[in-house]
Amino acid sequence: MKSHHALKLLLGIYIFVFFAYLFGPLIIMSVTAFNSAEFPAVTPWECFSWRWFTDGKVTYDGQRLAGLMADTKLHDGILTSLQIALGVVLLSVPIGMAAAIVLTQLNSKIRTLFYSVAIMPVLFPGVVIGISTVVLWDRIASMTGGGAMTDIGRNGVFLTILAQTCFISTYCFLIFVARLQRFDKTQEEAALDLGASQTQVFVKILMPYLMPAIASSAVIAFLYSFENYNTTVFSILSDQTLTTVIASKVRLGISPAISALALVIIAITLTAAISYEVLKRREERRLTKIRQMQLHQTMPSDRLKQNQKTSFKLPKSMFLILLSCFGVIAGGNYLATNNLYGEKCILAADEAKKSNFADQLKLLQQNIGNEVTTSPQSGTTTGSQEFNNIFGDPNLFKNFGGFDSKTEK
Amino acid sequence: MQNFLAKNGPIISTYFLIAISFWIIFLIIIPQIYMLDLSFRPNLPPLLRGGEEDVYTLTHYKHFLFGSETSKDAYNFVDLNVFFKTLATAVVITVLSLFFCYPIAFYIAKVAEHKTARFLIVSLIVPFWINELLRAFALRILFAGEGVINNALLNAGLMDNAINFIGQDVALFTGLTYAYLLLMMFPLYNALESLDTNQLEAAKDLGSSTLRTHWRIVIPHAKAGIASGSTMVFMLTAGALATPVVLSSPNTFWFTQLIYQWFNMNDNWSRGAAYSVLLLLVSVIFVLLMMKIFRIKVGEIVK
Repeated sequence: MKSHHALKLLLGIYIFVFFAYLFGPLIIMSVTAFNSAEFPAVTPWECFSWRWFTDGKVTYDGQRLAGLMADTKLHDGILTSLQIALGVVLLSVPIGMAAAIVLTQLNSKIRTLFYSVAIMPVLFPGVVIGISTVVLWDRIASMTGGGAMTDIGRNGVFLTILAQTCFISTYCFLIFVARLQRFDKTQEEAALDLGASQTQVFVKILMPYLMPAIASSAVIAFLYSFENYNTTVFSILSDQTLTTVIASKVRLGISPAISALALVIIAITLTAAISYEVLKRREERRLTKIRQMQLHQTMPSDRLKQNQKTSFKLPKSMFLILLSCFGVIAGGNYLATNNLYGEKCILAADEAKKSNFADQLKLLQQNIGNEVTTSPQSGTTTGSQEFNNIFGDPNLFKNFGGFDSKTEK
Repeated sequence: MQNFLAKNGPIISTYFLIAISFWIIFLIIIPQIYMLDLSFRPNLPPLLRGGEEDVYTLTHYKHFLFGSETSKDAYNFVDLNVFFKTLATAVVITVLSLFFCYPIAFYIAKVAEHKTARFLIVSLIVPFWINELLRAFALRILFAGEGVINNALLNAGLMDNAINFIGQDVALFTGLTYAYLLLMMFPLYNALESLDTNQLEAAKDLGSSTLRTHWRIVIPHAKAGIASGSTMVFMLTAGALATPVVLSSPNTFWFTQLIYQWFNMNDNWSRGAAYSVLLLLVSVIFVLLMMKIFRIKVGEIVK
């Protein structure tokens, strides 16, 4: 019995660690979005600020780090991503639906083959799908030699829609297959017997039955399209989507504006997930209520009705909301009293950094002076080695991400 | 065919036929054929294409194995090294993901109460829908030279110099595991959920130990889920591009980055195509292997 408890405790700890691993990095990233420092970090904490959500900042050496509101490249990327996602939804939902319906009409031998072909794209690596689409359309474009087809074949948005549709259709297909498995075929037969045409049966019976699958596959297709990178990066050619903008930003050097963007996306995802869950629970509660009502009608005694009248209970989530409100107020108060928020704090931090930078520069100039006086003695050393010593701190540029750090050999 | 027309009527039949043939022929099959074709052609400037020099050749595959003609090495150690490192890492990450996910999936599917299980599943779905690039970025913040982990350790006085997590590939491996862990979780959970709890109780009543119950009853039942999750994780890890772009160090490559380089930076499309064909080949072999080992059909892998 004792070992059983130990096992349970161990499992509990493990689950906690697992979820900490899942959410920890996301939470830390969200926190860094509010630190005014240029490098996304929790320590050293400069000031609490919203600047990465609004204008960003111009650093003391003139580099511009755009915030979310000021970043036009990002806005264009989001618009392109939306266009692509819309196109993908419009193509892949009808394709997935057609394939799933036809699957139910095939005999078993062709069926396996058809199913295997239909799910193949999910098993292809994303980069391969992107590359093969580009290769095909480049061939088409160069064969037609000018004209409309060439323009289409070199249009990144169009190619990306096709490439993504290739594998996203499979996800839609699978959703429709799952829904169709529970479809009662006698409905169709009844309608046909009563004189409906096949088109009518499709529009009036099959489509309404498939409506939930259409909705969920549209949502899934949109999400997959919006967050895709591996395929898009090849097929988008010279255009930019949200994901390629993010990737090029990250490659250039990491900025807290990306944390801010991530926080916005996390917030949207969380809201969507929570509202979906709440709606689902409400629906379930409604169903159980209906079931109870039916039970009452068939039962003469009022025993069950008495149970229904319970005292008003405060929902548990209220405590959580209250607690977080309290936390926010306490945190804000702390920030205000310790001068960690607002213009003043940012100004002070910038001033400190500027003087730090000036110190480094002074040190650098001093060292150059030293080097010049000593270098005639050192004689034959190569240039790069000589100048390694002029920096006050030899590791100053070691972890600097901006340049290709491959050394010459 | 006649049957098909009669069943669906002319309008709907046309819609079905156009949609399906467009997808299967135009989006799935033909692009792959063209990529395969290009991989056997020399890399020529646009004007020379279709000319006398445009003949089928094995140069790109030879380059992958033996390196360029001017190199002195017997084999192309750089590319082969990247290729096998990518595959080996993908296998290790797949096994690790299975190992990490199994207890959680079992807990949610069989042990937890309905409400807790629902809550945990929603908490799993939320990080799953956050962009892979952004999740990698979150880890980059943790692992950077002046990142959160290094700063914390330095401040605590546990070490003197910052650890180069990115240069040591620690960041990359953690990031890849982090990115695709949940693709193991969901198939595993689905498989375990369909297990009849009575079987577990029966095993317990008959005196089987916890370990033995899992080995003899739970794992065989979850076979399809394990195969499906493993395939997804392996495929996505081996074909990952977003996470390596953010988390790999400048001197180590992931195989997809090699493809990207041939394609976008060196402008050698045919060699990029040849390398993509290799990646595709590996994926196909892995799926076939999984089907053989677990004795399942391809339909059970993707559900």
